[in-house]
Amino acid sequence: MTTTLETPKTKLPPSTHEFADIIHRLEAGGAMLPDSPENLMQIIGIYKAYAVPMDFYWRDLLYIAERVFLEPLPFFKYFLPKEYLDLHNHYAGDDADLRIWRGEATAHPELLEFMEKGEVQRKLPKLLHHLWHDRVNMEFAEECMRVMLWHRNMYVPVNRFDPYLDSEEYIANADRAIKAYFKHNPLMMGMYKLFPEMFIEQVRQMSYYSNLGLFWEIMAPVFFEMSDLYDEGKLTSVPEAMDFLVNGIFAIAGRPIYHHVYIRGECYEIIPKSKGFTWLYEAALPYVEAVFYRTSPFRGTKSYNAQAKQVPDDQKDFHYGILYADVFPVGTAGIPPTLLMQDMLHFLPPYLMDYYKQHCRGEDDMLIQLGISFQRSMYCVTSAVIQALRTALLYPLDDPNPKHLQANRAFFESQLDRFKRPEARLRNIQTPDYR
Amino acid sequence: MLSVLIWLPILGAAIIGFLPGIFSAKQVRTGALAITGAVLAWTIFLMTQFDPSNSGLQLQEYLPWIETLGLNYQLGVDGLSLVLLALNSLLTWIAVFSSKVEIERPRLFYALILLISGGVAGAFLAQNLLLFFLFYELELVPFYLLISIWGGSKRGYAATKFLIYTATSGALILAGFLGLILLTGASSFAYESLAGQALPLGLQVILLGVLLVGFGIKIPLVPLHTWLPDTYVEASTPVAILLGGVLAKLGTYGIFRFGLGLFPDAWRVLAPWLAIWAAVSVLYGAIAAIAQKDIKRMVAYSSIGHMGYVLLGGAAATELSLVGAVSQMVAHGLILAILFNLVGIIEAKVGTRELDVLNGLMNPIRGLPTISSLLVVGAMASAGIPGMAGFIAEFLVFQGSFVAFPLQTLLCVAGTGLTAVYFVILLNRTCFGKLDNAIAYFPKVEFSEKLPAFILVALIFFLGVQPTWLVRWSEPTTNAMVAAVPAGSVLGRVGGDRPIATPPELIPMATIPTLEP
Amino acid sequence: MADIVDIAVGAGSFQTLVAAVQAAGLVETLKSPGPFTVFAPNDDAFAKLPPGTVQTLVQNTPQLARILTFHVVPGKLMQADLEKVDSLTSVEGSTIPINAKNGFEVKNATVLAADIEADNGVIHVLDRVILMG
Repeated sequence: MTTTLETPKTKLPPSTHEFADIIHRLEAGGAMLPDSPENLMQIIGIYKAYAVPMDFYWRDLLYIAERVFLEPLPFFKYFLPKEYLDLHNHYAGDDADLRIWRGEATAHPELLEFMEKGEVQRKLPKLLHHLWHDRVNMEFAEECMRVMLWHRNMYVPVNRFDPYLDSEEYIANADRAIKAYFKHNPLMMGMYKLFPEMFIEQVRQMSYYSNLGLFWEIMAPVFFEMSDLYDEGKLTSVPEAMDFLVNGIFAIAGRPIYHHVYIRGECYEIIPKSKGFTWLYEAALPYVEAVFYRTSPFRGTKSYNAQAKQVPDDQKDFHYGILYADVFPVGTAGIPPTLLMQDMLHFLPPYLMDYYKQHCRGEDDMLIQLGISFQRSMYCVTSAVIQALRTALLYPLDDPNPKHLQANRAFFESQLDRFKRPEARLRNIQTPDYR
Repeated sequence: MLSVLIWLPILGAAIIGFLPGIFSAKQVRTGALAITGAVLAWTIFLMTQFDPSNSGLQLQEYLPWIETLGLNYQLGVDGLSLVLLALNSLLTWIAVFSSKVEIERPRLFYALILLISGGVAGAFLAQNLLLFFLFYELELVPFYLLISIWGGSKRGYAATKFLIYTATSGALILAGFLGLILLTGASSFAYESLAGQALPLGLQVILLGVLLVGFGIKIPLVPLHTWLPDTYVEASTPVAILLGGVLAKLGTYGIFRFGLGLFPDAWRVLAPWLAIWAAVSVLYGAIAAIAQKDIKRMVAYSSIGHMGYVLLGGAAATELSLVGAVSQMVAHGLILAILFNLVGIIEAKVGTRELDVLNGLMNPIRGLPTISSLLVVGAMASAGIPGMAGFIAEFLVFQGSFVAFPLQTLLCVAGTGLTAVYFVILLNRTCFGKLDNAIAYFPKVEFSEKLPAFILVALIFFLGVQPTWLVRWSEPTTNAMVAAVPAGSVLGRVGGDRPIATPPELIPMATIPTLEP
Repeated sequence: MADIVDIAVGAGSFQTLVAAVQAAGLVETLKSPGPFTVFAPNDDAFAKLPPGTVQTLVQNTPQLARILTFHVVPGKLMQADLEKVDSLTSVEGSTIPINAKNGFEVKNATVLAADIEADNGVIHVLDRVILMG
C-alpha cells in the first residue's frame, strides 16, 4: 500500500493549477473532499444508506440478466425471488471468496424489513407496495446500466468487454441463448428471424445488467464494512476512508465479470468467466466514467435544448454525472438521481437524520441535503479511483525520483482538469456550507 | 352601529399604543389581530343588516357637532361604501397578519395601522363633506410614519414624497369642497343638501376638475402617479397592502361619490376626457411595469394600470360599467393585497426582489413552491383570467363602457394584454427556470405566513365564479347614480335616450345581481 | 542453460510470480521454445500490492493469466534492443511503454536486473507489478 499521509520527502515547486490546493492535498495522500469529521460523518452515513438499496440493486440486476433475460413483458422483474435474496455475496459472510464485510452474505436485514413493510410501515401485498411505488427504485439502477451501455467503448482498448460484445463469438453465444429462451415461442422466434440485431442488442443490454450487478455486488459490502468500522471508531478521517476504498479496489480488481443465463435449468455462458474480464477494467472504470462523469441529461433535472447546442455533440463531452449534477429536482417526473435519494432516505443512519434535521429546512429538504452528502461521498470515491489509478499506473507519493513525482502531478492535474467546468461541484464541496 | 367601525379601531389603537412595554411584539400582534378581527366580524354583521335592494343610505347616524361650520357627525352606508368598508376591514386584518412577528416598535406600528383602519372607515361612511375630509386627512400622518419608520432603504425620501403629494391632494379636495359651499351658498357640508345643486355648467366643470386632480393624486392617475412607485416599494408589506388595497380606493370612491354624485352634468362633459385619461393610465401602467426589474415595483405599476379600469367604468357611467368599476375596486384590492403579500414573503425569504437574481422558486424542495403557485394564481387573477374576480370586474367594465367609449375601451383591453406580458415576465423569471444551488438556502415558509394568501385566493376564486356576491351589494346604488346622470348624457350619443346601454346579450350579466340566493 | 521458468524458480526471489504462473496454468507456455521477453516482478513487487489483490487473482485464473501475460512480450528483446523502442505490445494485447535510454524503466516499474538470458528468451526483473491502462 503506497498511499500515505506522510508528506513526500522530495518537494516539487507548488502547482499552478486552478485547484492547486486540492492537487497538493492529493499529493499528500488526501482526497478531493477536505478532511473534517463532518465530511466523514456525511460520507460514511451515506455509504451505509446507499449500500442497503444497492444490496437490492445488484441482486435484481443479476436476476434480470440471468433469469428474466429477454422476457418481452417483464412486469415482475423487480419482484426478487427468495433465491436471489438468499444469494451469497462473494465478498461477505463466512463462505466469502474474500471477506470484505464481516456481516452476512444474504440480503441485508434492513432491506428485507423495508421490502416487507415499506415506507407506509404496513405489511401489504407486494403488488400494492410496488404500484404505490413504495419500494426500492430499481429504475435508478437500470438508468445507470443504460448509461454504461450507451457510453460503450470507454477505456477501450484496455477495456475488452465492449469489443467482445461485437465479436462473432459473443453473437454466437447470444444466438444460442435466444434460441433456447424462445424455443416454445414461435412468435418471438419469428421476430428474431426478422430483426436479429434488435435481439442481439437486447442481449448486450442484459450483459450490462450483469456487469453492473457484479460491480455493485462488491461495492455493497465495501460500504457496509466502512460503516461498521466508522461505528466502531476505527475509521477516523476522510483519507482513511479513501484508503479503505483504494485497498478495496485493488483487492477485488481481478474479480471476473461475466454473463450467464439460466434457461430451464441450463446455464448458457454468454460471456464466460474464462474471457478474463476483470472487475477493475471491465466494470469499475467504465462505471465511474459513465455514471460519475458522463451520464445523460436526465429529463427533469433541467431542461436541455439540444438544438441550442446545450447538449454536446460528442458523448465524451457529456458531463451530467453526480460529480456535476444539480441535485435540486425541478418538476416532479421520473428523475433517476432523485429516485436514488428517495431510496437512501429510507436507510439513513440516525446520526445523519439528526444532522439533516439541524440544517436548512430539516425534514422538508432532507432529500437534497442527502443528495449533496452523496455528492461529497462520490467525490471521495472518485478520489479513491484517482489514487488507485495513480498507484497502479504511476508512482508512490513518496517516490524519491522528482521525475516520477512530476508524472504523478501531471496525472492529478489532468484528472482535475475535468472539474474546471463551471457546473462541477468540486469547488462547492470544499466548504461545509454547501448542503 | 356604523360608528363601531370607526371607533373600535381607534380605541384599539389607543389601547395598544399606550400598553406598557412588558408585552412582546408577538402579544401586541395578537391583540391587533383580535381587534381587526372584531372589526371584520362587525363588518360582516353589518352586511347582514344591509338591504341590498335599497339604493339609498342605510343605517344612518347623526350627531350635531359644529353646526356653525356645517360640520356634523353624519354617517350612512350605501352599496358603494359597503363593499369598500368590507374590503378595508378585510385588508386591515390581512395587513396585520402579514406583518413581521418580531417587528420593531410593535405598539406604535399596530396603533397606526388601527388608526388608519378607523380613519378609512370614517371616510367611507361620512355623509358630510367636511367630515369626509377630516377622515381623509387623518390617514396622512399614520401612513407617513409607517413608511418613514418601517420602510425600506429610501424610506425617508419616499415618505416625504408621499406626504407632499397627498397633502396637495387634500388641499385641492378641500378647495373643491369649499368652492362648492361658497358658490351654492349652502349652509352645511351635508352631502344630501349639496346633491341637488344647480350651479352653472362652467363652474361645475371647474370644481369637478379640481376634485379630479385632488383624488387623481390619491388613485393615482398618470401623470400624478410619481409618488406611487417609490412609496409602494419602500413601504413594508402590510403598509403596501393598505396603500394599494385601501388608500387608492379612497381616491376612486371620492371621484364617484363627490365627482359623479355631485356634478353629474359636468361629469357628462368631462367623461370622454376621463376615459382617455383612464386609457392612458392603463397603458402607461402596463408598459412601465414591463420595464421594471424589481418585482415589487412591477406590482406597483400594475396597480396604476388597474386603477385605470375603475376610472374608465366611472367615466362611461352606464349601469354595467359602474357595477364593473366597483367590482374592480374590490378585485383590485384583493389581488393587489395578495401580490404584495407574496412579493413580501419572497423578499423576506430570498432576500431580493431583483428579477435578474430571482429564479426557479417553483423548485419543490428548496424553492418556495406554494408561494410560487399562489403568485401564479395572483398574476392570473390580475391579468384577468376567467374564473377569478379580476376577470368579472374588467369584463363588466369593458362591456359597460364599450357602448360609450369604444376606442378608449379597446385601448384598455389592449392594456390587459400587456398585463399578461409583464406577469409572464415576472413569473417566468421568478418561479420558473433553474434554482441556483449557490443561493438556495431560503428559510421555510410557515403555514401561518401563507394563510393570508390562501384566504385571498379563496375569495378571488369565490367572487370569480360567484360574481353575484360581489355585485349584489352595490348594483342598486350604482344604478341610482347612473339614473342621476341627466338624459342626453354621454350615452345619448350612442344609445339615444336609452338610459341603459345594455345590448340584449348582456342581459344575463346585468341581471345576475337580481338572482339573489 | 535453463528456460524462463527454471531460472525464476532457481532465483528464489520470484516465489509469488512462480506460484501465480503455476496457478494460471502458464508453466507449459513459458517452457515452450518461445522465445519470450518476460518482465518479471520480484516478490517485493508483489508485496507492494494491497492485501487481497493476489488472493482474488489466484482464485480467478483467467483474470490472473491476463495480468501475467501483460508482463510477457513475444521475441527475445535485450536492453539494447529496447533502447530503440518506446512501447511494446504484450501477449495480453495492451501496450507497455518502455524507456531504456536513461536508466531502464518499463511502464512505471524500474528494471532491477536486465538481460537475464534463458534458453527460450530473456528476463528483466521489475520492482513493481505493471498493470494495463
